[in-house]
Amino acid sequence: MISRARQDLDARTRPGPGFKGLTVLLAPALAIVLVLFGGGLALGVMQAMGYLPGAGLGRLGFQHFAQVLTDPDFATSFALTFYVAGVSTAIAAGLSILAALGLASLRSRWVHFIFQIPLTVPHLVVAVAMLFLLAPAGLLSRGAVALGLIAGPADFPLLINDNWGIGIILVYVWKEIPFITLMILAVLRNSGRELLDVGRTLKAGPWQRFRHITLPIIFPALAAASLIVFAFTFGAFEVPYLLGRTYPMTLPVWAYKHYSDIDLLARPEGIAAGIVIALVVATAVVLAQMLTRAARKKGMVL
Amino acid sequence: MGNLSLHNLTVGYGRRNIIQGFQLDVRDGELVSLLGPSGAGKTTILKVVAGLLPPTGGDILIDGRSVIGLAPEQRDAVMVFQKPLLFPFMNVEQNIAFGLRMQKRHPAEARQNVAEILSLTRLAGLEGRKVHALSGGQQQRVALARALVLKPSVLLLDEPLSNLDANLRQRMRDLIQTIQAETGMTMLFVTHDQSEALTISHRVALLLDGRLRQVGTPRELFHQPADPEVARFFGGKNFFQGRVQDELFIADFGQFLVGRQAGNGHLRTATVRPEDIIIAPRRKDSTAALTGRIVKVNFEGSATRIVVACAAGEFMVLTAQDRFTPGDEVELTLPPEKIRLFPLP
Amino acid sequence: MKACRYRLTGLAVVLAVGLPFVPLVLWALADRWFFPALWPQSFGLRAWTYITSTAGVQVLAAVGQSMAVAAITAVIAVAMAVPAGRALGLYEFKGKDLVSILLTLPVIVPPLCVAMGLHLWFIRLGLAETLGGVIGVHLTFSLPYAIFVLWGVFANYNPDFEDQARSLGASRFRVITRVMLPMILPGISVAALFAFLLSWSQYLSTLIIGGGRVMTLPVLLFALMGSGDRPVAAAVSLVFVTPALVALFFSARYLGARSLAGVR
Repeated sequence: MISRARQDLDARTRPGPGFKGLTVLLAPALAIVLVLFGGGLALGVMQAMGYLPGAGLGRLGFQHFAQVLTDPDFATSFALTFYVAGVSTAIAAGLSILAALGLASLRSRWVHFIFQIPLTVPHLVVAVAMLFLLAPAGLLSRGAVALGLIAGPADFPLLINDNWGIGIILVYVWKEIPFITLMILAVLRNSGRELLDVGRTLKAGPWQRFRHITLPIIFPALAAASLIVFAFTFGAFEVPYLLGRTYPMTLPVWAYKHYSDIDLLARPEGIAAGIVIALVVATAVVLAQMLTRAARKKGMVL
Repeated sequence: MGNLSLHNLTVGYGRRNIIQGFQLDVRDGELVSLLGPSGAGKTTILKVVAGLLPPTGGDILIDGRSVIGLAPEQRDAVMVFQKPLLFPFMNVEQNIAFGLRMQKRHPAEARQNVAEILSLTRLAGLEGRKVHALSGGQQQRVALARALVLKPSVLLLDEPLSNLDANLRQRMRDLIQTIQAETGMTMLFVTHDQSEALTISHRVALLLDGRLRQVGTPRELFHQPADPEVARFFGGKNFFQGRVQDELFIADFGQFLVGRQAGNGHLRTATVRPEDIIIAPRRKDSTAALTGRIVKVNFEGSATRIVVACAAGEFMVLTAQDRFTPGDEVELTLPPEKIRLFPLP
Repeated sequence: MKACRYRLTGLAVVLAVGLPFVPLVLWALADRWFFPALWPQSFGLRAWTYITSTAGVQVLAAVGQSMAVAAITAVIAVAMAVPAGRALGLYEFKGKDLVSILLTLPVIVPPLCVAMGLHLWFIRLGLAETLGGVIGVHLTFSLPYAIFVLWGVFANYNPDFEDQARSLGASRFRVITRVMLPMILPGISVAALFAFLLSWSQYLSTLIIGGGRVMTLPVLLFALMGSGDRPVAAAVSLVFVTPALVALFFSARYLGARSLAGVR
């Protein structure tokens, strides 16, 4: 899905290595993915449906899913998770378009190197850094005191463990912008410049070039990258755990809390919540792809 | 109206000038080819006219008004690129209508313009196609249609045929000529292919090493090259030196009748095109100035290329006869009206 | 005008990227830094002494375990992704779309779900709380990522070079070692870097499968955050980012600026 669109042009006409050859090439990798990922997911579903050997929970059914879905906290958790993932993705995508436009013609290797740094920094470290930066006694708060804007930590706006997940969103935005930007830049550099020149001689002004050429060119890459970011932020644990409030929790935190509960009976519920997360993410991806495809068919992108 | 004047145009990257003092007038309704080997700076000139590159000096006038400093989208010149560069996310009709849409033309009017262009470029029926479902020739025609529909004063074409195979190139060349005749649009056509330039243009401008060498009708450039290099570019061979004396050209290996020429008594370089030399087996009592032995015979189908070693050096002959073999003794006749003289540099 | 815009863009990038590192570095070097001082009252290497001596064994062990897990994950992932990427990038076959979806799912579905499912099974197999188990769960997402990288690499790879080498007398094996591998080496490096970084940053799946016994750096850092010792947490954070930065530096140096497009 991620890399299908731009390649495989010659693959259609090339004589293949035959079924046996393909099997030899693909089998090891597919076996690992099928056994470990597929198996993990399948076992998760079974446990969420009540299968727990040796613990006396014999009856298979959807009772744990029902419990999760009817839990009053589930709806709030779901809404919070959706909000955090959606807003983070939207802000990161918007800023990434600006960053890509700014960086497309910038040749400095140093700036490009520095721009890529957030890619390699683990989310956990970013969360720690944001905590030191944004907490009521953090660096920004100290700066505000030094400037005479506030009197003490109590006056500083709550950016960590806050109602609006500002700290969490900031971590994701900082971390994901280079990811989305680099995906866009690759496309822009490939065909962008030439098509923009064509647009200029065909009388398109700067805004028209952006709207009618740049945006359609980068849209598939932007959409794919944004989907991955949305899926990741929807299912990630450590940032909301460190920077979020204890209530309401995001879904992954909620799931892990139940899973690691001392009460073993809560465990299937945790796994069920995990499966729900997986389903939501998969549905979002499928829906987005169908929407894009439909839009393409009608000939209107965006 | 579509007059294009390039006045003393200079273009450079950094300190190096690629184009120096370029001067060219393209009159309304004319198709002028800018011909030259690759790397001569032809595309650079086109991009400067289109506004995609800034010139370092000189002036560009479209219909008498300077367009220096105007952005490409404000100039009444449209460029067709070497590659089709169609917008992959639009179908054929949307691609062609792009420029009209950018100018915010009325949709009904735009639709009519597009329909006209579709039939002019023989694309009718393909308007709904995705661009990647088109053949190379169709893609290039869409690119052409996309530019034509704007009815620019000047159409700039950057080797639009070079990515097509020989057969298609021929048909596309005819199409461009037909469209040019029908619309009377002023066109500046860049190419490195001399036969393409000679067939398609009203006039040809030959560019060598960033300098304009000669402008004229295809026949003028071919038959009356301005200097030996222009002659060489069009396949000229057989250069030799001598002195003009009355109606004679006296080389050290013999003398030839050349008719009345300027520069009586001066040293000149002479050239005769290979196809103009008359070749015959050497007769016993030959009085021909040029005799020699064939060292190489290349059969090319409709003609045979023969290299003859003479006392004066090697001569290349192109003949329709196919009866010579290496080692044959032959005599060469140079028709006086076919000998072209150039002053020594 | 243009140069000025470039300089502003560059400055914005440097500031935005650098800002979160400021408190990290200051805390790691602070001895005493009470509110509301903007600058530490006194600097010192207490945190560094602590993590190299008192907790030295623990930190060193965590670095070692993280390295081992990430490196082994990367090697296995690349070794399997090269043939798979070749099959997907060079040939068209029935079921390719299915394979594509199968490989997309692990990229999309959070590792949390898989780890919770695998845990019980791994306990049975004796893989829970072992390096092998943790590597196994890291492979579920590192391997698909590596395959996607090499799929792209092979889609731009021309196998005619191999036929040329064969016709020049190279054996099948030599064609792989002397033609294919050198040609795709940059792609292999990127795939390995992806897999390494994904595994290196992983927290929750490590915690679930490793059960606190496999103490990688992120697990240790999380525990430290709970203890509230800011200088030590900051110092460990810096240790945590270093290998990634080194990897980035080498990739930028040897693979060119665009090398990391797609990493996360």
